[in-house]
Amino acid sequence: MHRESVGCESWSVAGVTMTSRLLLGSAGYPSPDALRDAIRAAQTQVVTVGLKRTLVSGCDNGFVAIVRAALAEQHAHLLPNTAGCRNANEAVELAMMARELYETSWIKLEVVGDEYTLQPDPIELVEAARVLVREGFVVWPYCTEDLVTCRRLLDVGCALLMPWGAPIGSAQGLANPLALRTLRARLPDATLIVDAGIGAPSHAARVMELGFDAVLLNSAVALSRDPARMARAFRHAVEAGREGWRAGLIAAQDFAVASTPVTDQPVLLGSNEPLGSG
Amino acid sequence: MSEDTTIAVLLDDGPRRIAAGTTLAALVAELGHAPGAVGTAVNGRFVARGLREGLQLSSGDSILLFQAITGG
Repeated sequence: MHRESVGCESWSVAGVTMTSRLLLGSAGYPSPDALRDAIRAAQTQVVTVGLKRTLVSGCDNGFVAIVRAALAEQHAHLLPNTAGCRNANEAVELAMMARELYETSWIKLEVVGDEYTLQPDPIELVEAARVLVREGFVVWPYCTEDLVTCRRLLDVGCALLMPWGAPIGSAQGLANPLALRTLRARLPDATLIVDAGIGAPSHAARVMELGFDAVLLNSAVALSRDPARMARAFRHAVEAGREGWRAGLIAAQDFAVASTPVTDQPVLLGSNEPLGSG
Repeated sequence: MSEDTTIAVLLDDGPRRIAAGTTLAALVAELGHAPGAVGTAVNGRFVARGLREGLQLSSGDSILLFQAITGG
């Protein structure tokens, strides 16, 4: 008997094959142990990390060492980001530094264009991506759901796209599901990952039901009362959503459609009397 | 009166005096960092680890040091 395992369908980025479709951020956990337990519970294969100036960040209290150990345990991968960059030049320089410090050519490219929403700057993002691809990076751009910007990012050689679900840390879920559906429909061959704004496991399931390839989140797990339990909940939600999408969701209808195959009206055995009569 | 043999630089945006002729590699070591523990940039440009030894810092240079941290 053939029995397919839930959640084991693989996907790949730049030749690296993975089975987990839940990518996890490493910031904001209450302790290194909590972070390690969340990584294990999520069974994630990609964990994001950052860079910060030494004088303002001080000691990291062992968090990065925990991430490295947990990743080795799970044969997982680091994904450094360029958080805090405001233009293409800054992002390119920081990416170079990240490649040296973390010994990976993967880079989550972030170039913020608005301080209030932390919305990515599409112009600077495309320019930075163009340079980094030329320098041999595998670029994971954090972008908006704008279709044309996403096309430009693919045109310059980005390995995939990471449109936001909602502003970073907002926990709003999917602010613009129509645009995300459009992205999926118009870019059927692109690897699409929703990054940011996810607040609940149901949001992640919804992303996967739309046919997206993976979900990247951080705060929803790190800031929850029990990060390991929440990481596990997200893992199940991502797997369920993916399975739902693969199985083929039925179309929503405006009116009721009977599921029990009776004809016209129910028939009461042994009675020819109309319903409601004596 | 002894001659000042130091130069003024900016380290992570703060003023600092270092000995004239100091290389970037020497500054990293002087600050107590292992070479592989930090990333370096001078005047906004990344400087790879292997190039620090040959980079003699000049008066007015702006040096930034970065380290690995958690991130989203």
